[in-house]
Amino acid sequence: MPGDRTVNHLLDALDLVRESHLVICNGTLVPGDARLAEDDVVEIRPVISGGSH
Amino acid sequence: MAVTGSKCRSCKAPAVIDLPRHNANFCAEHLLQLCRRQMEKAIHDYSMFGPDDRLLVAVSGGKDSLAVWDMLVEAGYHADGFYVGLGIGDYSAESERYVRSFADERGLHLITVDLRDEYGYDIPTASRATKRVPCSSCGMSKRHLFDKAAVDGGYDAVITGHNLDDEAAVLLGNVLHWDVDYLARQRPVLEARDGFPRKAKPLVRLTERETAAWCLLRGIDYLVEECPIAAGNRHLHHKDVLNRIEKESPSSKAAFYLNFIDNMAPVLAGHSAAANGELQGCRRCGAPTTGDVCAFCRLVDTASAHEPVPVELVLGKRGRR
Repeated sequence: MPGDRTVNHLLDALDLVRESHLVICNGTLVPGDARLAEDDVVEIRPVISGGSH
Repeated sequence: MAVTGSKCRSCKAPAVIDLPRHNANFCAEHLLQLCRRQMEKAIHDYSMFGPDDRLLVAVSGGKDSLAVWDMLVEAGYHADGFYVGLGIGDYSAESERYVRSFADERGLHLITVDLRDEYGYDIPTASRATKRVPCSSCGMSKRHLFDKAAVDGGYDAVITGHNLDDEAAVLLGNVLHWDVDYLARQRPVLEARDGFPRKAKPLVRLTERETAAWCLLRGIDYLVEECPIAAGNRHLHHKDVLNRIEKESPSSKAAFYLNFIDNMAPVLAGHSAAANGELQGCRRCGAPTTGDVCAFCRLVDTASAHEPVPVELVLGKRGRR
């Protein structure tokens, strides 16, 4: 995605809820205010799981 | 390299995660410490089990079950693993691979049961044979086999990786229907009774985001992909709703569930005892049941007599992602 932005801005742009995801930048876990550069490799990992109980 | 401005609440080192419900950020070391403390608090406050108890951890290859196994072993508990092969196509093959790798790398004892090999059916076939949603026969099969393995192996408790999100979502579903029987049974620990083993959920004070972070920071390789036939189920929808509330009002999820346990579970305790009913041993397998033959044995009869159903046929009904 073009331009620098924070993790929180990225999640908002993708309409993703922070509570449901971890964000990993260049292999390292990062918090919501971490600033991402255009050439960073970012993984947004969903954390929600489970069948019915 | 990402630049982060937030600092760890405990040591002021750069944070790796923000936890709005604690109004705090944490570095890797102190996030792990928080997870350990939350698990120990749950074990202590709810009198789940003691330091000398033998524990059987139900593992699926997902983050929660591997996290709780890892946390218990790290804390010095005697904990073995128990895995059920459900026969859900590639998903089950992958999940077993993660569980076996985890156990082998750490030299832990793992017990496995395969539904198709030992009982002549799998979950897609059971779903088709019973004309019920797959999660129904899956849950029933796992509960029966966890109980059986714990009783047969002389374990003091069955441990599951249910976390705060799981429990809050179940609570929301039960409240939406005011299902008092289910509400009365929704506790972080269930005592052994009438042939059932004790069951405990040490992760009920940790969110899914926290257990996933535990795995990431501890180098635990887990199956990130969700069960393909659970996709779109009501439980996942309830989790999504709660997380949207949490976004606007941090710590709502914890208050919803933990205050229920503190304030409502004692009120419902009498109802729970009355709802338990008379139990006897299943005529076929000996498991506790209210009838002559238990629900699991009836499921085995129905599902094993049915022609095997490929998982793709069940996926088509549940909505492939």
